[in-house]
Amino acid sequence: MKTDPTDTGGLFISRRPGTRPIKYRRLPERGSAARQTFDTALALSLAGLMIFINLLFWGPLPAGWLWIGARVFYWTDSVGFGIFVSFLGLLLTLIGALAVLKRIDHAWILVRRASGRDQRSGIIGPIFATTAVVGGTAFTFWLIFIGGLGSSIMPGQQ
Amino acid sequence: MGLLDYYRQFQGLSDEEVSDELRQVAAERRARALERLEPLDLSNTTWFELPPSTVVNAVTYIARRGLHRYIDPHAAELRGELAAALAMPAEQVVVGNGAAQLLGAAVHALMEPGDELVTPWPSYPLYPLLARRARGSAVPVPGFGAEAILRAINDRTRVVTVCNPHDPTGAFLDGAEVEALLEQLPERVVVLLDEALIDYADVPREASLALLETHPRLIVFRSFSKAWGLAGLRCGYAVGGPESSTLLERLEPELGVNELGQAGVLEALRASPRVVARRVETVAAERERLVGELRALGCNVPDTQANFVWVEARGIDGAEFAARLQRAGVIVAGGARFGDPSRVRAAVQTQAAGERLLSAVRNSLG
Repeated sequence: MKTDPTDTGGLFISRRPGTRPIKYRRLPERGSAARQTFDTALALSLAGLMIFINLLFWGPLPAGWLWIGARVFYWTDSVGFGIFVSFLGLLLTLIGALAVLKRIDHAWILVRRASGRDQRSGIIGPIFATTAVVGGTAFTFWLIFIGGLGSSIMPGQQ
Repeated sequence: MGLLDYYRQFQGLSDEEVSDELRQVAAERRARALERLEPLDLSNTTWFELPPSTVVNAVTYIARRGLHRYIDPHAAELRGELAAALAMPAEQVVVGNGAAQLLGAAVHALMEPGDELVTPWPSYPLYPLLARRARGSAVPVPGFGAEAILRAINDRTRVVTVCNPHDPTGAFLDGAEVEALLEQLPERVVVLLDEALIDYADVPREASLALLETHPRLIVFRSFSKAWGLAGLRCGYAVGGPESSTLLERLEPELGVNELGQAGVLEALRASPRVVARRVETVAAERERLVGELRALGCNVPDTQANFVWVEARGIDGAEFAARLQRAGVIVAGGARFGDPSRVRAAVQTQAAGERLLSAVRNSLG
Protein backbone atom coordinates (compact mmCIF):
# COMPACT_ATOMS: atom_id res chain seq x y z
CA MET A 1 0.00 0.00 0.00
CA LYS A 2 1.28 3.42 -0.90
CA THR A 3 1.39 5.75 2.09
CA ASP A 4 3.41 8.67 0.79
CA PRO A 5 1.10 11.72 0.50
CA THR A 6 2.47 12.34 -2.99
CA ASP A 7 1.06 8.95 -3.95
CA THR A 8 -2.26 9.31 -2.19
CA GLY A 9 -3.48 12.64 -3.41
CA GLY A 10 -2.13 14.39 -0.35
CA LEU A 11 -4.33 12.38 1.96
CA PHE A 12 -2.99 10.55 4.96
CA ILE A 13 -3.23 6.80 4.78
CA SER A 14 -1.65 4.82 7.56
CA ARG A 15 0.32 1.63 7.16
CA ARG A 16 -1.22 -1.75 7.63
CA PRO A 17 -0.66 -2.88 11.23
CA GLY A 18 2.66 -4.60 11.74
CA THR A 19 4.29 -3.44 8.52
CA ARG A 20 6.17 -0.46 9.93
CA PRO A 21 9.86 -0.63 8.97
CA ILE A 22 11.94 -1.89 11.89
CA LYS A 23 14.72 0.51 12.69
CA TYR A 24 17.36 -0.02 15.38
CA ARG A 25 20.14 2.26 16.46
CA ARG A 26 23.65 1.02 15.76
CA LEU A 27 23.87 -2.02 17.97
CA PRO A 28 26.81 -2.23 20.47
CA GLU A 29 29.95 -4.04 19.46
CA ARG A 30 30.69 -6.81 21.90
CA GLY A 31 34.27 -7.66 22.80
CA SER A 32 36.12 -10.91 22.23
CA ALA A 33 35.17 -14.19 23.93
CA ALA A 34 37.83 -13.54 26.58
CA ARG A 35 36.41 -10.10 27.19
CA GLN A 36 32.96 -11.57 27.56
CA THR A 37 34.27 -14.17 30.03
CA PHE A 38 35.90 -11.38 32.00
CA ASP A 39 32.61 -9.46 31.95
CA THR A 40 30.76 -12.52 33.23
CA ALA A 41 33.16 -12.69 36.17
CA LEU A 42 32.90 -8.93 36.72
CA ALA A 43 29.08 -9.17 36.76
CA LEU A 44 29.33 -11.94 39.37
CA SER A 45 31.66 -9.76 41.46
CA LEU A 46 29.21 -6.83 41.26
CA ALA A 47 26.36 -9.11 42.30
CA GLY A 48 28.50 -10.34 45.20
CA LEU A 49 29.24 -6.75 46.23
CA MET A 50 25.51 -5.97 46.17
CA ILE A 51 24.79 -9.00 48.36
CA PHE A 52 27.53 -7.93 50.77
CA ILE A 53 26.17 -4.36 51.05
CA ASN A 54 22.63 -5.66 51.52
CA LEU A 55 23.76 -7.99 54.31
CA LEU A 56 25.40 -5.02 56.06
CA PHE A 57 21.86 -3.63 56.57
CA TRP A 58 20.97 -6.57 58.83
CA GLY A 59 23.75 -6.50 61.42
CA PRO A 60 26.97 -4.57 61.05
CA LEU A 61 25.43 -1.19 60.18
CA PRO A 62 22.82 -1.11 62.99
CA ALA A 63 25.37 -2.52 65.43
CA GLY A 64 27.98 0.02 64.38
CA TRP A 65 25.58 2.95 64.80
CA LEU A 66 24.36 1.62 68.15
CA TRP A 67 28.00 1.52 69.29
CA ILE A 68 28.51 5.09 68.08
CA GLY A 69 25.28 6.09 69.89
CA ALA A 70 26.64 4.51 73.07
CA ARG A 71 29.87 6.46 72.69
CA VAL A 72 27.87 9.70 72.21
CA PHE A 73 25.91 8.89 75.41
CA TYR A 74 29.21 8.31 77.22
CA TRP A 75 30.65 11.66 75.98
CA THR A 76 27.53 13.81 76.45
CA ASP A 77 25.81 11.92 79.27
CA SER A 78 22.55 12.29 77.25
CA VAL A 79 20.82 9.05 76.33
CA GLY A 80 18.34 10.86 74.07
CA PHE A 81 21.07 12.48 72.02
CA GLY A 82 22.89 9.14 71.75
CA ILE A 83 19.71 7.44 70.40
CA PHE A 84 19.11 10.37 68.01
CA VAL A 85 22.63 10.14 66.59
CA SER A 86 22.31 6.36 66.20
CA PHE A 87 19.02 6.52 64.30
CA LEU A 88 19.95 9.50 62.14
CA GLY A 89 23.29 7.97 61.23
CA LEU A 90 21.69 4.61 60.43
CA LEU A 91 19.01 6.23 58.27
CA LEU A 92 21.51 8.32 56.29
CA THR A 93 23.81 5.34 55.85
CA LEU A 94 20.89 3.22 54.56
CA ILE A 95 19.85 5.88 52.05
CA GLY A 96 23.43 6.33 50.86
CA ALA A 97 23.94 2.58 50.58
CA LEU A 98 20.74 2.22 48.54
CA ALA A 99 21.94 4.94 46.16
CA VAL A 100 25.25 3.11 45.77
CA LEU A 101 23.40 -0.19 45.24
CA LYS A 102 21.34 1.34 42.46
CA ARG A 103 24.44 2.51 40.67
CA ILE A 104 26.06 -0.88 41.06
CA ASP A 105 22.87 -2.52 39.74
CA HIS A 106 22.97 -0.28 36.64
CA ALA A 107 26.62 -1.17 36.11
CA TRP A 108 25.75 -4.85 36.58
CA ILE A 109 23.12 -4.62 33.78
CA LEU A 110 25.65 -3.09 31.38
CA VAL A 111 28.35 -5.63 32.26
CA ARG A 112 25.90 -8.50 31.85
CA ARG A 113 24.92 -7.16 28.39
CA ALA A 114 28.60 -6.81 27.52
CA SER A 115 29.08 -10.44 28.54
CA GLY A 116 26.52 -11.44 25.88
CA ARG A 117 23.49 -11.96 28.12
CA ASP A 118 19.95 -10.84 27.21
CA GLN A 119 19.78 -8.60 30.30
CA ARG A 120 16.76 -6.31 30.33
CA SER A 121 16.32 -5.50 34.05
CA GLY A 122 18.40 -5.21 37.23
CA ILE A 123 18.88 -7.61 40.11
CA ILE A 124 18.54 -5.22 43.04
CA GLY A 125 15.02 -6.36 43.93
CA PRO A 126 15.71 -10.10 44.23
CA ILE A 127 18.97 -9.45 46.13
CA PHE A 128 17.28 -7.12 48.56
CA ALA A 129 14.45 -9.58 49.17
CA THR A 130 16.77 -12.56 49.64
CA THR A 131 19.15 -10.78 51.96
CA ALA A 132 16.18 -9.39 53.92
CA VAL A 133 14.99 -12.95 54.60
CA VAL A 134 18.49 -14.24 55.40
CA GLY A 135 19.65 -11.17 57.34
CA GLY A 136 16.32 -10.70 59.14
CA THR A 137 16.28 -14.35 60.23
CA ALA A 138 19.90 -14.18 61.43
CA PHE A 139 19.24 -10.92 63.31
CA THR A 140 16.14 -12.34 64.96
CA PHE A 141 18.07 -15.45 66.00
CA TRP A 142 20.85 -13.29 67.43
CA LEU A 143 18.41 -11.01 69.20
CA ILE A 144 16.41 -13.77 70.81
CA PHE A 145 18.99 -16.41 71.57
CA ILE A 146 22.32 -14.59 71.74
CA GLY A 147 21.75 -10.84 72.27
CA GLY A 148 19.80 -8.67 74.66
CA LEU A 149 16.57 -10.65 74.96
CA GLY A 150 18.38 -13.88 75.81
CA SER A 151 18.63 -13.21 79.56
CA SER A 152 14.90 -12.58 79.99
CA ILE A 153 13.68 -15.42 77.73
CA MET A 154 16.32 -17.85 79.01
CA PRO A 155 16.71 -17.03 82.73
CA GLY A 156 19.92 -19.12 83.11
CA GLN A 157 21.91 -16.62 81.07
CA GLN A 158 23.40 -13.34 82.33
CA MET B 1 37.09 3.01 22.66
CA GLY B 2 37.73 3.66 26.38
CA LEU B 3 36.81 1.20 29.08
CA LEU B 4 33.77 3.17 30.30
CA ASP B 5 32.69 4.00 26.73
CA TYR B 6 32.71 0.31 25.96
CA TYR B 7 30.14 -0.32 28.70
CA ARG B 8 28.18 2.89 28.04
CA GLN B 9 27.27 1.69 24.55
CA PHE B 10 25.05 -0.93 26.22
CA GLN B 11 22.86 1.60 28.03
CA GLY B 12 19.58 3.09 26.83
CA LEU B 13 18.76 0.12 24.63
CA SER B 14 15.20 -1.04 24.05
CA ASP B 15 14.27 -4.62 24.85
CA GLU B 16 14.43 -5.52 21.16
CA GLU B 17 17.86 -3.98 20.83
CA VAL B 18 19.13 -5.94 23.84
CA SER B 19 17.67 -9.25 22.77
CA ASP B 20 18.56 -11.13 19.58
CA GLU B 21 15.53 -13.28 20.18
CA LEU B 22 13.12 -10.34 20.36
CA ARG B 23 14.65 -8.79 17.23
CA GLN B 24 14.08 -12.00 15.36
CA VAL B 25 10.49 -12.27 16.63
CA ALA B 26 9.81 -8.68 15.49
CA ALA B 27 11.30 -9.32 12.07
CA GLU B 28 9.27 -12.51 11.66
CA ARG B 29 6.09 -10.75 12.76
CA ARG B 30 6.68 -8.02 10.18
CA ALA B 31 7.52 -10.50 7.45
CA ARG B 32 4.27 -12.35 8.14
CA ALA B 33 2.30 -9.07 7.99
CA LEU B 34 3.92 -8.16 4.69
CA GLU B 35 3.30 -11.60 3.25
CA ARG B 36 -0.43 -10.96 3.42
CA LEU B 37 -1.38 -9.35 0.13
CA GLU B 38 -4.66 -7.53 -0.25
CA PRO B 39 -6.63 -8.73 -3.29
CA LEU B 40 -5.91 -6.60 -6.33
CA ASP B 41 -9.14 -5.31 -7.84
CA LEU B 42 -8.84 -4.99 -11.61
CA SER B 43 -12.56 -5.32 -12.26
CA ASN B 44 -13.27 -1.59 -12.55
CA THR B 45 -12.25 0.85 -15.23
CA THR B 46 -12.19 3.80 -12.85
CA TRP B 47 -8.79 5.09 -11.77
CA PHE B 48 -7.63 3.26 -8.67
CA GLU B 49 -5.86 6.10 -6.83
CA LEU B 50 -7.36 8.81 -4.66
CA PRO B 51 -8.11 12.12 -6.34
CA PRO B 52 -5.51 14.91 -6.10
CA SER B 53 -5.66 16.71 -2.76
CA THR B 54 -6.50 20.00 -4.47
CA VAL B 55 -9.71 18.48 -5.83
CA VAL B 56 -10.62 17.10 -2.41
CA ASN B 57 -9.90 20.52 -0.91
CA ALA B 58 -12.10 22.26 -3.46
CA VAL B 59 -15.00 19.91 -2.71
CA THR B 60 -14.46 20.29 1.04
CA TYR B 61 -14.40 24.06 0.73
CA ILE B 62 -17.74 24.11 -1.05
CA ALA B 63 -19.25 21.64 1.43
CA ARG B 64 -18.15 23.75 4.40
CA ARG B 65 -19.20 27.00 2.81
CA GLY B 66 -22.79 25.81 2.78
CA LEU B 67 -24.95 23.54 0.64
CA HIS B 68 -28.26 25.12 1.49
CA ARG B 69 -28.71 27.13 -1.72
CA TYR B 70 -29.77 26.18 -5.21
CA ILE B 71 -27.02 26.62 -7.73
CA ASP B 72 -26.82 27.70 -11.35
CA PRO B 73 -28.68 24.85 -13.14
CA HIS B 74 -26.65 25.41 -16.29
CA ALA B 75 -23.25 25.11 -14.56
CA ALA B 76 -22.08 28.13 -16.53
CA GLU B 77 -18.61 28.30 -14.99
CA LEU B 78 -17.89 24.62 -15.58
CA ARG B 79 -19.32 24.74 -19.09
CA GLY B 80 -17.13 27.72 -19.84
CA GLU B 81 -14.05 25.93 -18.58
CA LEU B 82 -14.91 22.82 -20.59
CA ALA B 83 -15.64 24.86 -23.70
CA ALA B 84 -12.26 26.56 -23.39
CA ALA B 85 -10.51 23.21 -22.94
CA LEU B 86 -12.31 21.71 -25.95
CA ALA B 87 -12.12 24.88 -28.07
CA MET B 88 -15.89 24.72 -28.55
CA PRO B 89 -18.64 27.27 -27.90
CA ALA B 90 -20.11 26.83 -24.40
CA GLU B 91 -23.62 26.49 -25.91
CA GLN B 92 -22.53 23.18 -27.46
CA VAL B 93 -21.52 21.67 -24.13
CA VAL B 94 -23.91 20.24 -21.55
CA VAL B 95 -22.88 19.06 -18.11
CA GLY B 96 -24.67 16.15 -16.47
CA ASN B 97 -24.53 13.75 -13.56
CA GLY B 98 -22.10 11.47 -15.30
CA ALA B 99 -21.98 10.44 -18.94
CA ALA B 100 -24.45 7.65 -18.13
CA GLN B 101 -27.14 10.11 -17.06
CA LEU B 102 -26.62 12.15 -20.23
CA LEU B 103 -26.73 9.02 -22.38
CA GLY B 104 -29.90 7.93 -20.63
CA ALA B 105 -31.46 11.33 -21.20
CA ALA B 106 -30.49 11.23 -24.87
CA VAL B 107 -31.95 7.78 -25.41
CA HIS B 108 -35.11 8.78 -23.57
CA ALA B 109 -35.42 11.97 -25.64
CA LEU B 110 -34.83 10.24 -28.95
CA MET B 111 -36.54 6.88 -28.74
CA GLU B 112 -40.25 6.23 -29.04
CA PRO B 113 -41.79 2.93 -28.00
CA GLY B 114 -40.85 0.32 -30.57
CA ASP B 115 -37.74 2.10 -31.74
CA GLU B 116 -34.45 0.28 -31.85
CA LEU B 117 -31.05 1.08 -30.42
CA VAL B 118 -28.18 -0.54 -32.27
CA THR B 119 -24.98 -1.19 -30.40
CA PRO B 120 -21.90 -3.29 -31.10
CA TRP B 121 -21.79 -6.36 -28.89
CA PRO B 122 -20.21 -7.36 -26.52
CA SER B 123 -20.35 -3.93 -25.01
CA TYR B 124 -21.20 -1.78 -22.03
CA PRO B 125 -24.36 -3.40 -20.57
CA LEU B 126 -25.93 -0.01 -19.85
CA TYR B 127 -26.96 0.58 -23.49
CA PRO B 128 -29.55 -2.24 -23.76
CA LEU B 129 -30.86 -1.18 -20.36
CA LEU B 130 -31.32 2.41 -21.54
CA ALA B 131 -33.22 1.17 -24.62
CA ARG B 132 -35.56 -0.91 -22.46
CA ARG B 133 -36.17 2.02 -20.11
CA ALA B 134 -37.17 4.11 -23.13
CA ARG B 135 -39.59 1.30 -24.04
CA GLY B 136 -37.59 0.52 -27.12
CA SER B 137 -35.42 -2.46 -27.85
CA ALA B 138 -31.70 -2.98 -28.17
CA VAL B 139 -30.16 -4.63 -31.19
CA PRO B 140 -26.76 -6.02 -30.26
CA VAL B 141 -24.48 -6.28 -33.28
CA PRO B 142 -21.70 -8.83 -33.09
CA GLY B 143 -18.34 -7.18 -33.74
CA PHE B 144 -17.18 -3.62 -33.72
CA GLY B 145 -17.08 -1.40 -36.77
CA ALA B 146 -19.09 0.72 -39.13
CA GLU B 147 -19.98 -2.13 -41.48
CA ALA B 148 -21.41 -4.35 -38.76
CA ILE B 149 -23.51 -1.50 -37.44
CA LEU B 150 -24.80 -0.50 -40.86
CA ARG B 151 -25.97 -4.04 -41.56
CA ALA B 152 -28.26 -3.86 -38.49
CA ILE B 153 -29.90 -0.56 -39.41
CA ASN B 154 -33.56 -0.68 -40.42
CA ASP B 155 -36.61 1.60 -40.41
CA ARG B 156 -37.10 1.26 -36.66
CA THR B 157 -33.50 2.18 -35.78
CA ARG B 158 -33.38 5.51 -34.00
CA VAL B 159 -30.14 5.42 -32.03
CA VAL B 160 -26.68 3.94 -32.49
CA THR B 161 -24.49 3.86 -29.41
CA VAL B 162 -20.79 3.38 -29.90
CA CYS B 163 -18.41 3.14 -26.97
CA ASN B 164 -15.11 4.44 -28.25
CA PRO B 165 -12.61 3.15 -27.10
CA HIS B 166 -14.83 0.16 -26.86
CA ASP B 167 -15.66 -1.30 -23.48
CA PRO B 168 -14.79 -4.16 -22.96
CA THR B 169 -12.59 -4.95 -25.96
CA GLY B 170 -10.52 -1.76 -26.12
CA ALA B 171 -11.05 -1.53 -29.91
CA PHE B 172 -11.14 1.94 -31.40
CA LEU B 173 -12.92 3.62 -34.31
CA ASP B 174 -10.86 6.48 -35.66
CA GLY B 175 -12.34 9.74 -36.91
CA ALA B 176 -12.52 8.57 -40.52
CA GLU B 177 -14.46 5.43 -39.57
CA VAL B 178 -16.89 7.39 -37.42
CA GLU B 179 -17.38 9.85 -40.27
CA ALA B 180 -17.97 7.00 -42.72
CA LEU B 181 -20.58 5.57 -40.38
CA LEU B 182 -22.32 8.92 -39.98
CA GLU B 183 -22.48 9.51 -43.70
CA GLN B 184 -24.07 6.15 -44.44
CA LEU B 185 -26.68 6.25 -41.69
CA PRO B 186 -30.27 7.21 -42.53
CA GLU B 187 -31.43 10.71 -41.64
CA ARG B 188 -33.42 9.74 -38.52
CA VAL B 189 -30.60 7.81 -36.79
CA VAL B 190 -28.57 9.62 -34.13
CA VAL B 191 -25.13 8.39 -33.09
CA LEU B 192 -24.33 8.61 -29.39
CA LEU B 193 -20.57 8.34 -29.21
CA ASP B 194 -19.58 7.35 -25.67
CA GLU B 195 -16.01 8.54 -25.23
CA ALA B 196 -15.75 7.92 -21.49
CA LEU B 197 -12.38 6.23 -22.10
CA ILE B 198 -11.04 8.57 -24.79
CA ASP B 199 -8.31 9.96 -22.51
CA TYR B 200 -6.52 6.59 -22.67
CA ALA B 201 -6.43 6.37 -26.47
CA ASP B 202 -3.27 7.12 -28.43
CA VAL B 203 -5.16 9.43 -30.78
CA PRO B 204 -6.00 13.13 -30.88
CA ARG B 205 -8.99 13.72 -28.60
CA GLU B 206 -10.39 16.30 -30.99
CA ALA B 207 -11.03 13.91 -33.92
CA SER B 208 -14.65 13.21 -33.01
CA LEU B 209 -15.30 16.82 -31.97
CA ALA B 210 -14.24 17.98 -35.42
CA LEU B 211 -17.13 15.96 -36.89
CA LEU B 212 -19.74 17.80 -34.84
CA GLU B 213 -19.68 20.84 -37.08
CA THR B 214 -20.87 18.92 -40.10
CA HIS B 215 -22.83 16.09 -38.48
CA PRO B 216 -25.72 17.30 -36.34
CA ARG B 217 -26.77 13.69 -35.67
CA LEU B 218 -23.65 13.04 -33.60
CA ILE B 219 -23.46 13.63 -29.87
CA VAL B 220 -20.21 12.94 -28.01
CA PHE B 221 -20.28 11.95 -24.34
CA ARG B 222 -17.32 12.16 -22.01
CA SER B 223 -16.77 11.46 -18.36
CA PHE B 224 -14.66 12.49 -15.38
CA SER B 225 -15.02 9.03 -13.88
CA LYS B 226 -12.27 7.17 -15.73
CA ALA B 227 -8.84 8.73 -16.30
CA TRP B 228 -9.79 11.73 -14.14
CA GLY B 229 -10.60 9.37 -11.28
CA LEU B 230 -13.65 11.28 -10.04
CA ALA B 231 -16.33 8.62 -10.41
CA GLY B 232 -17.84 9.50 -7.05
CA LEU B 233 -18.59 13.05 -8.17
CA ARG B 234 -20.87 11.75 -10.94
CA CYS B 235 -19.97 14.33 -13.50
CA GLY B 236 -19.79 14.07 -17.27
CA TYR B 237 -20.57 16.16 -20.30
CA ALA B 238 -22.02 15.93 -23.76
CA VAL B 239 -20.93 17.89 -26.79
CA GLY B 240 -22.98 18.41 -29.91
CA GLY B 241 -22.85 20.39 -33.11
CA PRO B 242 -24.34 23.87 -33.65
CA GLU B 243 -27.57 22.28 -34.89
CA SER B 244 -27.90 19.94 -31.92
CA SER B 245 -28.79 22.61 -29.39
CA THR B 246 -32.42 21.46 -29.04
CA LEU B 247 -31.36 17.93 -28.17
CA LEU B 248 -28.55 19.13 -25.90
CA GLU B 249 -31.03 21.21 -23.89
CA ARG B 250 -33.10 18.09 -23.27
CA LEU B 251 -30.10 16.24 -21.85
CA GLU B 252 -29.36 18.75 -19.15
CA PRO B 253 -30.51 17.79 -15.62
CA GLU B 254 -33.49 19.98 -14.67
CA LEU B 255 -31.86 21.57 -11.64
CA GLY B 256 -28.27 21.08 -12.71
CA VAL B 257 -25.35 19.07 -11.45
CA ASN B 258 -24.65 19.06 -7.72
CA GLU B 259 -22.37 21.79 -6.46
CA LEU B 260 -19.76 19.46 -5.00
CA GLY B 261 -19.32 17.69 -8.32
CA GLN B 262 -18.99 20.97 -10.17
CA ALA B 263 -16.40 22.28 -7.73
CA GLY B 264 -14.31 19.09 -7.88
CA VAL B 265 -14.37 18.85 -11.65
CA LEU B 266 -13.64 22.53 -12.10
CA GLU B 267 -10.59 22.23 -9.88
CA ALA B 268 -9.50 19.06 -11.68
CA LEU B 269 -9.75 20.81 -15.06
CA ARG B 270 -7.66 23.69 -13.81
CA ALA B 271 -5.09 21.83 -11.76
CA SER B 272 -4.95 18.17 -12.74
CA PRO B 273 -4.34 17.81 -16.49
CA ARG B 274 -0.73 16.84 -15.77
CA VAL B 275 -1.88 14.20 -13.29
CA VAL B 276 -4.19 12.73 -15.92
CA ALA B 277 -1.47 12.88 -18.57
CA ARG B 278 0.86 10.94 -16.25
CA ARG B 279 -1.80 8.29 -15.63
CA VAL B 280 -2.49 7.94 -19.34
CA GLU B 281 1.22 7.61 -20.05
CA THR B 282 1.53 4.90 -17.40
CA VAL B 283 -1.44 2.98 -18.77
CA ALA B 284 -0.31 3.28 -22.38
CA ALA B 285 3.09 1.79 -21.62
CA GLU B 286 1.72 -0.90 -19.35
CA ARG B 287 -1.11 -2.09 -21.62
CA GLU B 288 1.31 -2.64 -24.49
CA ARG B 289 3.56 -4.71 -22.24
CA LEU B 290 0.62 -6.65 -20.79
CA VAL B 291 -0.87 -7.46 -24.17
CA GLY B 292 2.50 -8.82 -25.31
CA GLU B 293 3.08 -10.84 -22.15
CA LEU B 294 -0.46 -12.26 -22.11
CA ARG B 295 -0.18 -13.31 -25.74
CA ALA B 296 3.13 -14.97 -24.92
CA LEU B 297 1.30 -16.95 -22.23
CA GLY B 298 -1.12 -18.21 -24.87
CA CYS B 299 -4.04 -15.90 -24.17
CA ASN B 300 -6.11 -14.33 -26.88
CA VAL B 301 -5.93 -10.57 -26.32
CA PRO B 302 -6.95 -7.94 -28.86
CA ASP B 303 -5.11 -4.63 -29.15
CA THR B 304 -6.57 -2.08 -26.79
CA GLN B 305 -6.83 1.68 -26.65
CA ALA B 306 -8.46 1.65 -23.23
CA ASN B 307 -7.24 1.02 -19.69
CA PHE B 308 -8.07 -2.67 -19.73
CA VAL B 309 -7.30 -5.87 -21.58
CA TRP B 310 -9.95 -8.25 -22.88
CA VAL B 311 -8.52 -11.67 -22.23
CA GLU B 312 -9.49 -15.14 -23.37
CA ALA B 313 -7.61 -18.03 -21.86
CA ARG B 314 -7.89 -20.76 -24.42
CA GLY B 315 -9.74 -23.79 -23.10
CA ILE B 316 -10.99 -22.03 -19.98
CA ASP B 317 -14.42 -20.48 -19.59
CA GLY B 318 -14.40 -16.79 -18.62
CA ALA B 319 -16.16 -17.38 -15.29
CA GLU B 320 -13.75 -20.18 -14.40
CA PHE B 321 -10.80 -18.03 -15.46
CA ALA B 322 -12.06 -15.14 -13.29
CA ALA B 323 -12.53 -17.52 -10.35
CA ARG B 324 -8.98 -18.86 -10.74
CA LEU B 325 -7.58 -15.34 -10.90
CA GLN B 326 -9.55 -14.41 -7.80
CA ARG B 327 -8.08 -17.39 -5.95
CA ALA B 328 -4.68 -16.01 -6.96
CA GLY B 329 -5.62 -12.65 -5.42
CA VAL B 330 -6.62 -10.72 -8.54
CA ILE B 331 -10.22 -9.71 -9.14
CA VAL B 332 -11.28 -9.18 -12.76
CA ALA B 333 -14.64 -8.60 -14.43
CA GLY B 334 -16.18 -11.70 -16.01
CA GLY B 335 -17.08 -11.28 -19.65
CA ALA B 336 -20.66 -12.59 -19.27
CA ARG B 337 -22.04 -9.23 -18.18
CA PHE B 338 -20.65 -7.66 -21.35
CA GLY B 339 -21.99 -10.40 -23.60
CA ASP B 340 -19.02 -12.73 -24.02
CA PRO B 341 -18.77 -15.38 -21.29
CA SER B 342 -15.53 -16.78 -22.73
CA ARG B 343 -13.46 -13.75 -21.67
CA VAL B 344 -12.54 -11.56 -18.74
CA ARG B 345 -11.77 -7.85 -18.58
CA ALA B 346 -8.79 -6.80 -16.48
CA ALA B 347 -7.94 -3.18 -15.81
CA VAL B 348 -4.48 -1.85 -16.60
CA GLN B 349 -2.94 0.06 -13.72
CA THR B 350 0.71 0.20 -12.74
CA GLN B 351 3.58 -2.10 -13.62
CA ALA B 352 3.37 -3.70 -10.16
CA ALA B 353 -0.33 -4.44 -10.69
CA GLY B 354 0.50 -5.80 -14.14
CA GLU B 355 3.08 -8.13 -12.64
CA ARG B 356 0.53 -9.45 -10.17
CA LEU B 357 -1.98 -10.01 -12.97
CA LEU B 358 0.60 -11.86 -15.06
CA SER B 359 1.62 -13.97 -12.08
CA ALA B 360 -2.02 -14.83 -11.37
CA VAL B 361 -2.59 -15.71 -15.05
CA ARG B 362 0.47 -17.98 -15.00
CA ASN B 363 -0.83 -19.72 -11.87
CA SER B 364 -4.29 -20.04 -13.36
CA LEU B 365 -3.06 -21.55 -16.61
CA GLY B 366 -0.46 -23.78 -15.01
